[in-house]
Amino acid sequence: MTANAYELIVYILTLLGVYEPILNVFQVLGIEYIFKILIVLVEVGILFVFVLLTVMFLTWMERKVVAMVQARYGPMVTGPRGLLQPVMDGVKLIGKEDIIPAKADRWIFTLAPFIVFIPALLVFIPLPFGQSLIISDLRVGLLYIIAISAVSPIAILLAGWASNNKYSLMGAMRAVAQDISYTIPLALTAIAIVLFTGSLSTVDIVNAQSGTWFGIIPKWFIFLQPLGFILFLIASIAEMGRIPFDFQESESELVAGFFTEYSGMKFAMFFLAEYAHLFAVSGIVVTLFLGGWTFPILPFVPAMLVPLVSLGIFLVKTYAVIFFAMWLRDTVPRVRIDQLLNIGWKIMVPLALLNLLLAGFLVTAGVF
Amino acid sequence: MAWISKNWTMSGIIKGLIVTLKHVLHIGNRPTVTVQYPYERMKLSPRFRGLHAVDENACIGCGICEVNCPNSTITIVKHNTRWYPQVNIGMCLFCGICVDVCPMNAMKMTGNYELADYTRESLVYGPDRLLFNKEVKQ
Amino acid sequence: METDELIINMGPVHPSTHGVLRFKLRMDGEIIKECTPVLGYLHRGTEKLGEMKTYLQFIPYTDRLDYMSAFPNNYAYVKAVEELAGIEVPLRAEYIRVITMELNRIVNHLVSIGSLLLDLGASTMIMWGFRERENALQLFEKLCGARMTFNYIKPGGVREDIPEGFIPQLNEFLKDMEKRIEDYEQLINSNEIFLMRMKNIGVISAEDAINYGMTGPTLRGSGVDYDLRKYEPYSIYPDLDFKACVRDECDSYARYIVRIEEMKESLHILRQVVDTIPEAKIVSNPKYGVAPMTGTPSAVSTYFPRIFTPPTGEVYSRIEAPKGELGFYIASDGTTKPYRVKIRSPSFCNLTAIPKMVQGLKIPDLIAAFGTIDVVLGDVDR
Repeated sequence: MTANAYELIVYILTLLGVYEPILNVFQVLGIEYIFKILIVLVEVGILFVFVLLTVMFLTWMERKVVAMVQARYGPMVTGPRGLLQPVMDGVKLIGKEDIIPAKADRWIFTLAPFIVFIPALLVFIPLPFGQSLIISDLRVGLLYIIAISAVSPIAILLAGWASNNKYSLMGAMRAVAQDISYTIPLALTAIAIVLFTGSLSTVDIVNAQSGTWFGIIPKWFIFLQPLGFILFLIASIAEMGRIPFDFQESESELVAGFFTEYSGMKFAMFFLAEYAHLFAVSGIVVTLFLGGWTFPILPFVPAMLVPLVSLGIFLVKTYAVIFFAMWLRDTVPRVRIDQLLNIGWKIMVPLALLNLLLAGFLVTAGVF
Repeated sequence: MAWISKNWTMSGIIKGLIVTLKHVLHIGNRPTVTVQYPYERMKLSPRFRGLHAVDENACIGCGICEVNCPNSTITIVKHNTRWYPQVNIGMCLFCGICVDVCPMNAMKMTGNYELADYTRESLVYGPDRLLFNKEVKQ
Repeated sequence: METDELIINMGPVHPSTHGVLRFKLRMDGEIIKECTPVLGYLHRGTEKLGEMKTYLQFIPYTDRLDYMSAFPNNYAYVKAVEELAGIEVPLRAEYIRVITMELNRIVNHLVSIGSLLLDLGASTMIMWGFRERENALQLFEKLCGARMTFNYIKPGGVREDIPEGFIPQLNEFLKDMEKRIEDYEQLINSNEIFLMRMKNIGVISAEDAINYGMTGPTLRGSGVDYDLRKYEPYSIYPDLDFKACVRDECDSYARYIVRIEEMKESLHILRQVVDTIPEAKIVSNPKYGVAPMTGTPSAVSTYFPRIFTPPTGEVYSRIEAPKGELGFYIASDGTTKPYRVKIRSPSFCNLTAIPKMVQGLKIPDLIAAFGTIDVVLGDVDR
C-alpha cells in the first residue's frame, strides 16, 4: 500500500516498467532530484486541474440546484444541459475590461485576488481524496488547513480597503469579523476530533474512522459527535460566506461587498476561490465527520481498485455536503451581521466548548 | 440566549428545507414551469395586443385613431392612392384605444410582440407593413 | 478615539431600492442615525398629463402608476370619472372588475413578498411568486390582451366581456394558489432566520402610522382596522363576505403576515364572485357609448364614447388598492379634458414613514423594513 500520491505515481510507473529506466537516465546525469520534483509537479498539477474543473462544475451545479428548487431549468443552451456554461462564463470574464478605480490602491487592489485564490488551492494539499490519493500527509494537517483558511480574511480586508469604496470596506469589515468569530468554534470542534484520534494528520483521522460498530454502523465521528458535526457544518458555511451567512457580499445591502469594484479576471478569481473554498470545506467536513473516503464496502474491493473506489466514495460524500449547502442557500434568508456575531460568540463558542467536554468524557470513558 | 432555547430545533428551517426538496424532486404537482423562450413559445390569447394591423379595404383614413391616440403615436399618411395610419411603435402604449374607436373596425392588433429593432426609424411602421387584405363581405 | 459619521447614498441605483429611489443615510458605523429618502428619479408628470389628455386617453397612463397592480389604478380613476358624471355600471361589469382587482391584489402581494425575501437574501420565494404570477398574467392576457398595462376598465363598464374558458382557468388558478400559499407559509412563516430578521424591526405604532398617512397592509400591520372595502364600501364589496386582515405587532413581520392573509382573503372573495357572477352579458353602459357603425362588430365592444364630457364639478374618489388607499381627485370644467388631476398614491404616503421606522436600526433592517412597505417607484414619483 502506498502512503501518498507521490508513491502512487512511482508505483504506477514501476508497474508500467518505466520507472527504473527513467530514474537511471536522471541518475546518470546526476540530477535525480529533478525527476522527483517533476513527479511532484505532475501530482500537484493533476490536483489543481482537478480542483479547477470541479470548481467550474460546481458553478454549474449551483445554478442547476437553484433552478430545480425554483421550478426552472437553469442553463440549458451551452452544451448538453448547459454543462459548458462555466466555460462561457470564463470566456466572458476574460473578455471584460479590467478596471482599476482611479482612487484605488493599485498594488494591493491587484494583489488581493491572488492572496484569496492561492490559499484556496493550498488547502487541498493535506486533504485525502482517497486511499493514497493525498499530496502530502502533513503531521499537522488539520492545523495547516485551519491556518491556511485563516489567510483569506486578510486578503478580503486588503481588497475592501484597496477598492476605496464604502460598500467594499463595510463588506470587508464584516467578512473579517465573521471569519474570526467562526474560526474559533470551527477549531474547537476540530480539536474534539483530534482528542479521539490523537493525531492532527488527516490520514490518521480517516483511518480511525474505518471499520464499523456491530458490523453495521460505520465508525464515523458524526455518530460520536453529532453536536460537533452540526457546529462544524454551520461554522464552515459561515466561513465559506454562503447564505445564510454571506455578509461579505450581501448583495441587497452592500451591492457586492468587498468585490464591488472588481471586474474581469480579478472578479473571476474571487469567484473561483469561493467555490474552491466550498469544495475544500465540504471535503474537510467529510474527512472529519463522515469517514473521509472510507466506507464499509471498501474491504471487499480488490486492492488495485481501492484508490479509485475510495476517490468515488469521497466525491459522493463531498457532493452530498455541497448539495446540502446549496439547498440551504435556496431555503433561508440572510442573518443580520450583529445576529451572526451573537450566534457565533454566544451560542457556537459555548456549545463548541461543551462539545469538547463531551468528547473528553467519551475519550476518558474509552468509548473510542 | 433565550432565542436558542426556544428555537434549538430549527423546525422552521427544516420545514423550509422539506418544501424546497419537494420542488427539487418534483413531488406533488410541482413541475418545472420554464418556457425556453426562443425555442418554445407560449400560446397567446386571441385578444393579445401586439403590433397593429390595418384592414386595407375597410380603412377609410378618417384619422379618428390619430386623434384618439393618447401618445400621438399614429399619423395618417398617404399610401398608393389612399390614406392609412402609420404607427410609431416606439411611442405606442399598446392600449388598444385606436382599435376601440375605429368606426370601420379596420384596425386590429396582432400577436406580434417581437418588435425590438436597431434604429428608431425602423420602429415607425408605415402602411406598407401594417396593411392586410380582408375579403370584402357583400 | 475620534470617530466620524459615514454618509452613504443608497441608490438611486441599488439592488434593493426597488427602482430608482435614493436613501441618504447618515451612519454611525452600521447604525442609521438619519435616513432621508430622495424621490423624483422616476417623475413623469402623470398628473399634468392628466390635464392634457381626455378622460379616456388618460386611462392607459394610470396603468403605469403602480405597474405591479394596474387594475386597481384603472378602477380608481374610472370610479372617480363615473362619480363625476354619474354613470351607472352594469352589475356584471362590477363583478368582472372585482375579479380583476382581487387577482391583481394577489399578484401584487406575490411580488411584494418575493422581493422582500429577495432583499433578505432568499432568492427562492420571488421565483415561486413569479411562477404563480405568470398564471395570473395569462388570465389577464386572456381577458384583456395585455399582461401588465391593461387599459381594461372603462367608464360605464369594462372593455370586453370575459372570454370563453376564462372562468374554468380562474378556478384552476384558485385551486392551485391555495396549495402554493401553503408552500410559501411552510417556507417562510416559521423560518427562524426570517423571524429573527423581521420581528420587532421597523416598528411603527398605530398612532404614528395614522399620522404619517400610511394605509393598506402597512397600516393594518400596525393594528388599525382600516380597509376601504369595509370602511367605505364600493363596487360589490358590500355583498361579499370577507374580513380585513389586521395584526397588532406593528413590526415588519406583521406587515408580511397581513399580506399573506390578504392573499387568502382575495382567494375567498374570488371564489364567491365566480360563483355568483350574473349571467347577463352586458358589460358596459350603452347610454354612454356609440353603437358600432359599420362592419361586423368584433369581440371588442365599441360602446365607449370617443368624446366624453362630464359636467362641471370635482370629485375625490378612493379605493383600497393592494398597496393602500389610492385616491383620484378630478376637477372638471365641463370640457373633454379634466381641469386638474391629483393622485393620492399609497406608495408615496407609506414611504414617508421609513425614516421614522429605521431610526437607530442597521442597513439590513432598513432593507427589511423597506421591503415590507412595498413601494413601486412609479407610484411614488408619478
